[in-house]
Amino acid sequence: MKKLFALLLAMVMVLSLTACGGGKKEEKPADTSTPTTEQPAAPTKLTLILRGGTYGEVIKAALPAFEAENNVTCEVLDLSFDDLHSKIALDAVNKEGAYDLCMVDGSWMAEFTANNVLANLSEMGYSFDDDIIEATTAICTVGDDIYLAPYFGNVTVMLYNKQLIADAGYEPADIDTFADLMEIAKKTNAAGKKGFLIRGGSGDNIVSDFIPHLLVHGGWVVDENNQPTVNTPEFKAAFQNYIDLYKLGATMDKDDIVAAIDNGDAALAQGWPGWYVPSADSNANYTVIPTKLDDSDAAKNTSMYGVWTIGICNNSQNKELTLKLLEYLMDPETQLASIDLGGVPCRTSCLLNKDVLAKYPHLETVHGALQAGVYRPVIEEWAEFTNILGTEMDAVIQGTKTMDDGLAAAQTALEKLMK
Amino acid sequence: MKSTALRSNRAPHLGERTFPRLMLAPTLVVMAVLTAYPLIFTFFYSFTNYNYLKHANKASDFILFENYIDLLQDGYFRQAVLNTIKFTLLAVVLEVLLGLLVAVFINSLKRGQKVMRTLILLPYLLPAVTVALSWRMMLSPNYGIINQFLEGLGLPVYNWFMDTKTAFGTVLLIDVWQNIPFVFLLLYASLQSVSHDQYEAARIDGAGVVQQFFYVTLPNIKNGLALCTLLRIIDTFRLFEKVNILTGGGPAGTTSTITQYLYTYGIKNLNFGFGSAGAIVMTLLVLILSSFYIKRAIQ
Repeated sequence: MKKLFALLLAMVMVLSLTACGGGKKEEKPADTSTPTTEQPAAPTKLTLILRGGTYGEVIKAALPAFEAENNVTCEVLDLSFDDLHSKIALDAVNKEGAYDLCMVDGSWMAEFTANNVLANLSEMGYSFDDDIIEATTAICTVGDDIYLAPYFGNVTVMLYNKQLIADAGYEPADIDTFADLMEIAKKTNAAGKKGFLIRGGSGDNIVSDFIPHLLVHGGWVVDENNQPTVNTPEFKAAFQNYIDLYKLGATMDKDDIVAAIDNGDAALAQGWPGWYVPSADSNANYTVIPTKLDDSDAAKNTSMYGVWTIGICNNSQNKELTLKLLEYLMDPETQLASIDLGGVPCRTSCLLNKDVLAKYPHLETVHGALQAGVYRPVIEEWAEFTNILGTEMDAVIQGTKTMDDGLAAAQTALEKLMK
Repeated sequence: MKSTALRSNRAPHLGERTFPRLMLAPTLVVMAVLTAYPLIFTFFYSFTNYNYLKHANKASDFILFENYIDLLQDGYFRQAVLNTIKFTLLAVVLEVLLGLLVAVFINSLKRGQKVMRTLILLPYLLPAVTVALSWRMMLSPNYGIINQFLEGLGLPVYNWFMDTKTAFGTVLLIDVWQNIPFVFLLLYASLQSVSHDQYEAARIDGAGVVQQFFYVTLPNIKNGLALCTLLRIIDTFRLFEKVNILTGGGPAGTTSTITQYLYTYGIKNLNFGFGSAGAIVMTLLVLILSSFYIKRAIQ
């Protein structure tokens, strides 16, 4: 009897398992951008995977109009920098992707295009118009093929406290050399405040924050063959200058940097336009990062791009409709409307619009920086590269390693990575 | 007649062996699928250079012990291992001692036990991410209430998570704060089962409060205490969310734990081969740490 009961149980279990796994595959709704039936079709669902914060919020605010017009419902995932990268990459290997439109940091471009993560927008009929700042599109293409569209004009700028700059005897327009930064930091520090803030946290944060200093010293992180160059005299001079500035201030995370500059606890820090939206009467504002070491130096491009781009996942099941959404989001009118919510379009007509500038004068600075920025190296290994370099730099900044030891260790590890 | 008697003797014997095995089979299948397969998968990939994205359409290379050699040669991994062991020892000792203290105190209350029990459990009910973000706000060097309070008292203030002198201790404090309630809950349940007769007998024999604690309370809850310690060791060893949100392993690797290291150098970059090697090393360390209890449980 027991045997029979056991057999019966085993059969029930096998049947249950079979039933669980053998369900009918749910049919994906067809792309309804061109409905063929007379009955109103069920709305198509698009899934957007975006960077959390202002970058994604401006897109979310623009969606209702598109949804109503195209019989679409959009589901949005707001994610942190690392989670966004992981989720896009993890889904990319699936035949049928879970995401349609994705937000991509410029530094992931090489890795994503090399591994077929993104759809070729040129093949789908997309092209850039002349209003888009040309320099911001450089990271969006491979050869002549477009894979991404520059949506949010993130570029490093100098965040400053108006009162503390004035107390140091400077007008924002006068800050045009790194010697000026040091002078302001020293005077502010002598007055009992923090002179210059550097960004701590992940390796990418540390490296990105440092790059303008490296650029003004004529250095770079890789050579023309993408081999690391982090143990060079230029790199060491730039790093020493960066540490000297840090000693007149502190290291903080993004939120604390913005708060410290805004509440007058610190004078200067490098920032991104997406962090803070200054108005005419706010305590803080942006100016361009100085382009020279001192008055005798020649000007260089020192602003680093961190443009947030949008693209279509190559395994999206709704590519045509997603392209329509991408075009809608890149439309000058949609982008102009995003500015009130903190958006920073990569369009000249939006950034230099008279009404916009009257309300947000700092966008003229951003426009200038977007025209002459520098991209991080387009290498597949960039995420690992910044992990290694950022960790060693952090050890030097915190004094647990000497500069020679830290940079030599970084150079060795990076050479192995780029081998 | 004889054969019938034999059959009737053998039938229950076979059933007694087969029936439990059949009943165990579903559990064993589920365990094999959910535990053994991932473990074998992880072990296998730890000998490869498998990158989730790069090797989606092509095979990864078998690189023998290269991942393990890289791990053990990396000073930051060794630092992460030391940090993890140091953190686990300090956190578990503090959590168990303070949790026991709270449990004994609450258990001794004549009134208000239920209210206190609920209030003390609150931190444990919060997700680790919420706890980390709340503490980050409270400890902000700009707008944090703790620095403002210290300033008000004329005491020095710190950049808690960005200073090598304070970051480790701050993360430890937050973890201890959140996990004391877990220890309290387990030990409080053990304390509830201790017979009052034993205390009464001890008192009649002239035992004081301290003697009652060491000769009645502790022997009665020692199993609960051991289980609690083991669970906390395993959980603390895997500490990740708080470190990742609050410090990202910095400054200068002072708060880096093994899981944080594996995330930064393996998982985040989709280098699952390297990450798998780290996971195997970590599993071995946890097994060594918990072997005492497991051995005892098997005996």
